Parts: sequence; structure tokens; C-alpha cells
Amino acid sequence: MRRILIVGAGQAGLQLALSLLAEGYAVTVMSARTPEEIRAGRIMSTQCMFGPSLQIERERGLNLWEEQAPKIVAQRLTLADPPGTAAFGFVGRWDAYAQSVDQRVKMAGWLELFESRGGEVVYHGVMTSDLEGLSAMYDLTIIAAGKGDLVELFDRDDARSPYDRPQRALSCVYLHGDTLMPEYPEPHVRITAFPGVGELIFMPGYTNTGPCGILLWEAVPGGPLDCWDDKPSPEEHRDRTLDLMRSYAPWEYERWVDSEPTDGRCTLYGGYAPVVRRPVGRLSASSHVLGMADVVVANDPVTGQGSNNAARSADVYFRSILERGEKPFDPEWMQRTFDAYWDFAQHVCAYTNMMLGPLPEHVQGILATAAHNPAVAYRFAKGYTDPSDFRHWLMDPEKAEAFLASVADQSTAAP
Amino acid sequence: MKGNPWVRPYVLTSGRTTTRHRLFMHTLVSVPDFDPAFADRLPPEARSLYERAGTTAESVAELSAHCGVSLGVTRVLIGDMAARGRMIINPDTYSSPYDERLLRRVIHGLKEFA
Amino acid sequence: MGLKSSPDSLPPHMTSAKIVVAGGFGVGKTTLVGSVSEIPPVNTEAWMTQAAKSVDPETGATGKATTTVAMDFGRITLAEDLVLYLFGTPGQARFWPMWDDLSRGASAAVVLVDTRRLDTSFAAVNYFENDSDVPFIVAVNLFDGEQTHRLAEVRDALQLTAEVPLVACDARDRGSAVATLTAALTHTMRRTSVGTTPGVLATR
Repeated sequence: MRRILIVGAGQAGLQLALSLLAEGYAVTVMSARTPEEIRAGRIMSTQCMFGPSLQIERERGLNLWEEQAPKIVAQRLTLADPPGTAAFGFVGRWDAYAQSVDQRVKMAGWLELFESRGGEVVYHGVMTSDLEGLSAMYDLTIIAAGKGDLVELFDRDDARSPYDRPQRALSCVYLHGDTLMPEYPEPHVRITAFPGVGELIFMPGYTNTGPCGILLWEAVPGGPLDCWDDKPSPEEHRDRTLDLMRSYAPWEYERWVDSEPTDGRCTLYGGYAPVVRRPVGRLSASSHVLGMADVVVANDPVTGQGSNNAARSADVYFRSILERGEKPFDPEWMQRTFDAYWDFAQHVCAYTNMMLGPLPEHVQGILATAAHNPAVAYRFAKGYTDPSDFRHWLMDPEKAEAFLASVADQSTAAP
Repeated sequence: MKGNPWVRPYVLTSGRTTTRHRLFMHTLVSVPDFDPAFADRLPPEARSLYERAGTTAESVAELSAHCGVSLGVTRVLIGDMAARGRMIINPDTYSSPYDERLLRRVIHGLKEFA
Repeated sequence: MGLKSSPDSLPPHMTSAKIVVAGGFGVGKTTLVGSVSEIPPVNTEAWMTQAAKSVDPETGATGKATTTVAMDFGRITLAEDLVLYLFGTPGQARFWPMWDDLSRGASAAVVLVDTRRLDTSFAAVNYFENDSDVPFIVAVNLFDGEQTHRLAEVRDALQLTAEVPLVACDARDRGSAVATLTAALTHTMRRTSVGTTPGVLATR
């Protein structure tokens, strides 16, 4: 029975832990917090999981909130330019629904599930100094705690990290009491882009107290939406959000005017530089640990890929561990395991990093076309569920033009 | 299996240890019935913790600091030995750290002490 | 089976309590812990390390050396069956996972401040206000034994809400340190007895 230590109890860590446990591995998870503390703690993410990610969870029997959580069927993008005026917008419907289960609900539940299935949990916030001693006790140690100092074990890969500072100031809040959008009453994600200023992203979620609305402000640093340094209380966040909506997206203001914070810890502030790190952390000549998910590939949440990347990386690592059988988990195997994940993740990074900068002209053209061509809107929305598809059109001006030409007959605009 | 002869207590407990929630830094740990032969069979770090806790009940933090074993490793090893019945994680006498009886006793004790 | 009990080992019902002493670097946490501890404050440098880059001279490979950061704790045996631990927090905000660990299961917290550098304790106040359920008080450490700032000014500067008690103390003096600790425990008793359940979040 191979012994695996997973440091970190988030989407990637617990998904991998539960997957390996079901295959008979002796899995220990180190979590800095107990399920009760996670439930009662601060929100951690917006965690919109798209269809393919949810499917991975279903296959492992981990979809515990599938019935309760709103089923998000589509994605709407609105370009607000100038601010307060909707220049154009479009809806792309997905083949399979997405869901956003508050990680406070999900990770607390998964930790309890892991323990009840016989997994071992040690409640301990792992420090770098613990690792050499710990890793000697296991066949493989995986670092899946992306928010602490453990990430410093993994060197930044400069060639794959175009930014050295945060590209957005982030501010998130969970609210109850938003109203449906009359023209599209089904649960959907809404992205409102304010060119040069930032984005407002909404998704229906499920938290400790039931269905809720999740709002994320993505503010270009130094711009007018970058106004959260004082870390306002949930009520103050709601009030400031309403004020901003009134001038930047009045159609959103109507939806939220009677909303209330879900709880006392339903806000999150911050921002981080997108980064790709080298996956093998070397503790000594004979001791190495493997980084997973946002420990090694951290993107800005503007494209909603974080928890999906976590699910994908955990799935790739899971398969790689199984394939390895009884052979040692040496640094070469670690590198190959990451490379298999990078095959996919590179496309997420390329797309997300592009969306953080001024949009290339051909992408602006694609978005404007999507407003009157459902085939373009569909493929754009589908790309969020699998960003590797973007390389076949949106990321390349020539391929994009070819695609647009191929679906030009589906345009609803007057010729 | 390479290097480490330590048999994980999974085999004995199917992974269930009873240590959840209770291994605070200040949680007291003791050895109910010190067994020198068992100590001899342990790897150095586990042995050091076992022997120290066999002398006097000490907190997780003290054991870690005095034995020079990192806190993470200390918690894993204590959990393992507790799962085998070789160590006792002293149960909380009070329902919570805010239990009024506990708070009154600590205040009283501190005043005596001053 | 006969019970074999070693005279040295304490009875298994022996229990412990904990108070956290937080605050910025150099505000007197170690002094406060030391002035009441029955053992010399345990310095746990050895297991508090952080990653720093280093290069292996032989292979040229990048490894991770460790640098240390100090933390200390003390112990007071209050009764045959009751031990109180005092844990100081590491100063740097990067060690917040450690703060959670230190605070978990604590009966109270004292945020120690030095009026000459109040800013070094902002992070600690912020932590207990927003990210921890442990009831806390703020104690102004009077280094020269004199009160140079009015407590009201300190309260303003730290933006403390009315429900957070603010006291003055001399961390070097055992009596004063004990009074500070009992003030913290008394605050916990008040906070948690009025219809609130321990662990339930205080909404802001």
C-alpha cells in the first residue's frame, strides 16, 4: 500500500486524496483547518466549476451538492463602453451546466467524507521546516496549499510568467436576495467588461445558508474600481457595490438593490501576480516534493479557471500516480506528471493572460461578431469550459478569421 | 519498502485515528504504560517523543520543541502512537475553552500564583 | 490486568488551557510570557523556519535553505490537574497559518502594543477582529513604567470598537502580567456567557 501525503485541503488536494483513497492508497491529508473552522471561516473563491470539471467529480462520487446548487446553464458577456452604457452583449449556452459550491461548504464536506471513508487527516498548518521530516515518512508528498509560504519551495518559471505583479485588485462578496434578469431568467454567469477599468463577474452559487449570488470585482490597479484597500465589512461592500453598479452597470443595480450579505465572513479582498512555477521542490539531494494546482500554476480569476484547473491537475496527477504502480516517485516522474498537466494548463494561461491586457483587435472583432452570431457566442462560451479550444481560433488572428468566415451564414444581423 | 521501517497504523485502524480536533499545540500527551522494548523498536524521532512523554505529560508544542522534532512530524507520530494505544491524548475535561468553570479555575489559579 | 502507574506521570485527566499573546516584533511578548512562566520561555526557533533560496555549490541546483523566526511559550501549573500555556505569536503576517494553529482552542488572546510603534501591532488587532473567534483584549505595554499616551488615544489610533477592552500593563512585572491575563479571561467570560455559543461567529 503506497503512502501518499497531501498538504492542503482545497479542491485539488481533497479531490486527489479521495480519488486515491478509493484506489486503496494510504492517504494522509494535512489541513490547516478543521471542517468546522472552514465552514465558519472566510470565503475562499468564486469557484465556478464548468461541466467537464463537474464530470470528473461525478466519476469519483464527489458531487455531493449537485441537487442543491443552482445549475448554471449559460454565460453572458456585456461590454460596458462607456461605463454605464451596454455597447453590446451576448449569451452563449453550454452543453452541460456549471455549478459554484462555496468552498466552505464543499471542502468541509469533503474533509468529513475523506475521514469517514478511512482517510487520515492531520490538522496542522504545514511549514517548510516540517517537510523534510514528513516527506521521509511517505512514498510521495504533494503540495496543494497555494496560499501559504510553501509555494516558495517552487521556483518561478520566468519564461512562462509574463507578469510580475497583480493585474487586478480583487474584491468578492456573497449576497442573498438578488433578483432574476427578466430577459434571461435561467441561472447564468454574467461578465461585464469595462475596458481599461476592469470587470464585474456574477455567478449563482450555493453557500452554508442556501443559494446565493457571488459577485467579483476585477479592478485594474489604480483605476476607479480599485477601491477596496480598506477591506470594508460585508454591508459596506454591498453598499459600495451598489454605488459602483449605479454608475457602471445600472442594469445590475436593479438586481441587487435588496440584497443582503450571506454572513459575516462573506467578503474576500486581494490580488496576486499570475505565475507559473517549477513543479519539483527540492528539500535535499534525496528528498523532493511535487507541487499541484495553483501552487504551480496560478492565474488571475478573471476567466474563472482556478477551481477547474485544480480539478484538472488533480485528475492528471491521479492518473499518473496510478500508472506509476510500485515504481518510485522520483523527480523525473514528478516533472513528467506536471508536464502532462501543463499540456492543458498552458492554454488556460495563454487565454487568461491575454484577457488581462488590452484586448487584441481581432478579439474585439470576435466579441462584436458574437453579439449577432449565435455560433460565435456558443464557441466563445464553450471555450471557458475548455480553454484549449481557443488555440484553434481565438488565440490566432488567421484561424479566427477562418472560423468567423465559416459561420458567417449564421449571423442574425442585417447584411 | 525503502528506508523507513515504520509501519503506519492504517493497517491497525483503517486510517481512523481518534486524534481529530484535539491535537492543539497545548494538548497534553502522556504514555499510559511505558514500554522500553517498544521504545527500542522506534525510529529516532518517534522514540524521542515516546520517551519524553513517558516521563511526564507534556503539550504537543513542548514535545516538539524539546525533542527537536518539527511540529508536523510530531503531530503525525503522536497520532500514530495514540492510534496504537501507546500514547494518550489527554481528553478535554471541559466542553470548550470558553467553559465558565475552566475560565474561573484559571483566573483563580493565576491570582493565587501572583 | 493490573494498572501500572509511574509516579512521574501525571494523571490522564490532567488538562490544559491556553492564552495567546500577540503583537508586533519587539512589543514585549517574550517579556510578558517570561514574567509569569514557571519554566524559562521555550524558544522554538528550531521548528519555525521559512524557505529561502540557496544554490548547491556542487550541483548548481537550487535548493531551499531555512532561516529561522523565533516564537516562544511558557507554562504555569495552576493545579494538580490544570496547566496554563502562554503562546507568543510570530511577528510576520506570512505566518498566519501558524497564528490559526496557535489560536485554535485558546481561551483568550492579549494583543500587546507599544505606543512608540503602534503600527507593528495593527496586523494582530486585525487578525483577532476579523479572522479569529478567540475573544481578545489589547494591552499597552508601559516600557518605562509610565503612561505616555492616554488609553483613549491608543483606542482611536487602533480603531478599536467599544467592546474590546483596553488595559495598561508592565510586561516585566508578574502582578501586572497576571492582571492582564485575568482581564482577558474575564472578557472571554463576558463575551461568551451572554447568549452566545462558543465558536459561533460574531457578525460585524
